[in-house]
Parts: sequence; C-alpha cells; structure tokens
Amino acid sequence: MNALKLLPRRIFAFVARDFRLFVSYRMQFFLRIVSVLAVVTTLFFISKIFAGFTDPQFSQWRDPLATWLTGLAVLNYFMTGFSSLANSIRQEQMQGTLESVLLTPINLPTVIVASSAWDFLETTFFSFLYLFFGRVFFGVQFRGSFFLAFLFLLLTTVVLSCLGILSASFAMVFKRGDPFGIFIGAGSALFSGVFFPTQLLKTYAGPKLGNISLILPTTHGLDGIRQVLIEGHGLAQVTQPLVVLLGFLVVLLPFSLWVFGRAVRRAKREGSLIQY
Amino acid sequence: MSDLAISIDNLSKTYPVPFKRVRTFFRRPVKEPVEALREVSFDVHTGEIFGLIGRNGAGKTTLTKIVATLVQPTSGTVTVRGHDSVNQDEHVRREIGLATAEERSFYWRLTAEQNLLFFARLHGLADRFAKQRIKDLFAKLELDEAARRRFGELSTGNKQRLAVARAMLASPPVLLLDEPTRSLDPLAAEHMRDMIRSLAQQDPPVTILFTSHNLAEVETLCARVAIISRGRIRAIDTPQKLRDLTSESERVHITTSNGEKISFTRQHNDDSLDEMIRTVQNRGERIIDIETERATLLDVLERYETTDDTDRSV
Repeated sequence: MNALKLLPRRIFAFVARDFRLFVSYRMQFFLRIVSVLAVVTTLFFISKIFAGFTDPQFSQWRDPLATWLTGLAVLNYFMTGFSSLANSIRQEQMQGTLESVLLTPINLPTVIVASSAWDFLETTFFSFLYLFFGRVFFGVQFRGSFFLAFLFLLLTTVVLSCLGILSASFAMVFKRGDPFGIFIGAGSALFSGVFFPTQLLKTYAGPKLGNISLILPTTHGLDGIRQVLIEGHGLAQVTQPLVVLLGFLVVLLPFSLWVFGRAVRRAKREGSLIQY
Repeated sequence: MSDLAISIDNLSKTYPVPFKRVRTFFRRPVKEPVEALREVSFDVHTGEIFGLIGRNGAGKTTLTKIVATLVQPTSGTVTVRGHDSVNQDEHVRREIGLATAEERSFYWRLTAEQNLLFFARLHGLADRFAKQRIKDLFAKLELDEAARRRFGELSTGNKQRLAVARAMLASPPVLLLDEPTRSLDPLAAEHMRDMIRSLAQQDPPVTILFTSHNLAEVETLCARVAIISRGRIRAIDTPQKLRDLTSESERVHITTSNGEKISFTRQHNDDSLDEMIRTVQNRGERIIDIETERATLLDVLERYETTDDTDRSV
C-alpha cells in the first residue's frame, strides 16, 4: 500500500493519540474556554472606550471588537501553523518517543503533516470560540464570503507552517533557542496589525520599522481576512495580499522541506535524534 | 530471496563533534570525535538468532541503531533483506522491529493498548486487524492484565514486554532485541527466551539480532555470537567454538560414594574422564556427582577486553 493511501490512517493515528492525551487533562480544556470568554469580554469593554473615535482612513477598524476578535482568532491559528511542528518534535524528543515514531515506515512529510493535525483541530475550535462568543454575547457582525476568508486562512497557515518546518529543523539540530519563534511569535503581534492598524507603525516609528510588517506573512493574511469578513470585499479586491501569500508559498515550501530533510540527516549522523 | 537477512559490510561510525568549526572559530575547547564502530562486517542468516555481546560503550547500541536506520553510518553499508539502510530506509523499517530497554519510548499517559494501537496505525495496519494482533501479542507476552493500564503505571518488566510486543506488531521478518529480558523475573525471562526460540523456528522464520549482558542467555539462545569491543568485532562463531578459542581444557570435579572429591583437568574429547570413571568403579565405589568447569563467554569476553587494554597501554 503506498504512502498516500496510508496518509489518512496515519493522520488519524496522531489525532487519536493526541485526543487521548488531551482528554487525560480535562481541567485544562475547561479553563481555556473560560479564558477565551474572559478575553472577549475584556475586549468588548475596551472597545467601548473607542466607540465613535475611529479615524475614517482605517476602514477595517470601525468596529474595533470585530477587528480584534478576527485578529486574535486568526493569529491563534497562524501561530499554530508556525509552532505546532517544532513543538511536537520537541515534545517527542523530550518524551523520548521520536525514535519510536521514526522507526515505523513513515516518511518525513507524513510526520510533518500528521503530528500537527490535532493542534490544528484544537486551534480551529478555540479560534471559532472567539468569533462565536463575540457574535452570541456581544452582537459582533461579520459579512463577506466565509469561503474566501477560509482560503486566506488556509494559505497563510500553510506559509506559516513552512516557517514552522524551518523552526522544527532548528529544534532538531540546536534543540533550544529558536530564532524563528522569536521573530514570528513576538513580531506578529506587534507588526501584523493584530491590535492596531499597521499604518500607525509608519507614522510613529518611521518607514524602516513600519516596513517590517510587509515581510511578515501574517500581515497579508490578516489583511486579506479582514478585507473579506469586515469590509465585505470580493476576490477581485483582495488579489494583492493573495499574490503576496502565494509568492511566500512558492519560495518557502520547497526550501523548508529541503532544510528539514538535511536537519534530520544531520541529527542521524550525530546520533542526537532523541536528545533535547 | 537471498538467505541473508542482515548484511553488514565494512561499517564504521564516528560521531562528529557538533559545531566543530564554530567552536574552533571562537577558540572553544573541541572534543575528539567518538569512534563508535570500526570496519564491522558480518552477515546474519534468515531464521538465525545472532548474539552481539560486549561491554557498555562497546558499540552494540550504535550498531543496532544503524541497522534500524536511526543513525547513519560514516562509511560502509548495511542491507536488510536486500534493502540499503541509508538509501532505502523506509523499506528497511518495514522489515524490522526494534525493542530496546528504553522506557521513555512510550506515551506514559496512554494505556498499553492505546500505545500499541497508535504504532500499529503508523505501520499502516487496519484497526480491526491491529486490535486482534494486539490482543494476540498481549496473550503471547502475558500482558492481558496490563492492557488497559496506563504505561506509566506498568511494572518495569511489563514495560519491557510491551516494547517487545511493539517490535512484533507488524510481524517483521527481522527483530532487533536489545536486552529483552533485562528487567524480567527468572520465569518471565525463560518464557521470553522460549518465545524468541519459537519465532526463529516458525514458518517463515524470524531473524533475530540479539544483544544482552546475560552471557548464559546468549549461549543458550544464539546460533552464533559476535564479540564487539571498542567498536571492533573481535570474534564471530558459535558459543561452543568461542569457548574453545579461550581454553581447550575443562576442569572436572568428581564426588564418590565414600565422600572423596577428585579433581582433574581434561582436554576436550580426550578419554581421561572415561578412565577416571572406570578407576572409581573398579574400586567398588559409586559416583555421586560430576561437575565440569568450562570456559564461558564471560571468559572469552574478558580475554578480548584484556587484549584490548594491553594493546592500548603499549
């Protein structure tokens, strides 16, 4: 049976395993739901401070609560795409189970896809909760094509997964101190326009610092999703962020897979596959 | 299909010093690379139980991990049933099962059954088949009662048996068993040895590369044994012939019916023992007990280790 036919079974194996591990810590699950509700409620009250003060040039920020919730939900998703692979590799290394997984006839791309599948399911649920609580408890309205928004979400997540593969390669060789994590993790919240418009960066910090937001895929992904969900734009109006994201994908996908393959070979050569 | 299950040819492994150039550039102390294996060559035949013995750090684990595709060799080749361990690693992993005494290779919050089901799915086994296979393995390895207990709650012996069960999940034709009886009680260890023997005798037979520090166990189980010392294979032969290499004589102790104890040294296959028995019987006495002291694999191992130490000091 070829690897492609076995892929769903293997993804299911990882998802079932991670679900079992997840439910073995039930309290954590309920506490996370409560914390999402607490964040949404807090943002609702903060948004009331800005009611009626929005600058007309920031069209996506007319309803700050809707913009923040979209930003948080999507950032949550993006960060999973970026960090889940490195985390699962690091966790398997720390548990000592990575060798056992790599002893099975499973190829590296399958390990990459399957080991982060549960994280995506979990994040989908919690990201949805931000939007759901906003809609149900605070009357936040979303419009536009959800399909197009999903396309942006998917594309940006795959681009960030490529960076996640680079991060995992780093974890494989250097074990700790991942520079991609620092750059993307801290940088996305500050430079991608999650909490405030990116134009303000240029105004207050100058064009050099402001342009950092342009090299982050999260900026373009978030902009595309907000254009669709908040401004109600169609495909013809969002081609610019779409093309930029496709450009990131074309460069990063083959490069990250190549680097990951080299990192695994190096770890095998050094015999450090299970060290952390 | 060739009769060879595992073929190891001129295999060497030197663990490189990580970031040597960077360390040199910053004038940091650089350790010497570790030479774990040196020009190792041997073959294991289909259905053979092949023993690998040596002290800690001799290179047994590195060799096993290279065969299992987890570590890449520096030079030389390993083929498992015709597949190269570097270029056809996925094929090789389909052909082998590895059981180590490493407890951390399981998920501690999952039950024994859930752990095996996860690995069975990675092997591509359909759930219905996998569950039946797991049930059979639990029965075979006396793990039924442990099936629904979390791995972290299992006894050390049961954890070890579970590792063997995992290695056997996909019914691989080649098993790499690293000290499979280390944590087992004497009865469980004997049961494990019986199972290993039966695997090698079944149709089609399973080939077993077996490492252990229990030399008596290696002597009773293995058709051939390789002695590895400081990364080099020092001798490969049957346990009997390896013992003979060390000493061709044995010490015999006879106790007669009047309490006399007679001790003498005989060469293998000479007739001194027959003569002594006749002498005792001609004196009208009976023989109560006969004991022999033969060289063991431990003596053989010690001999090579001593030789190595002498070589290094010269």
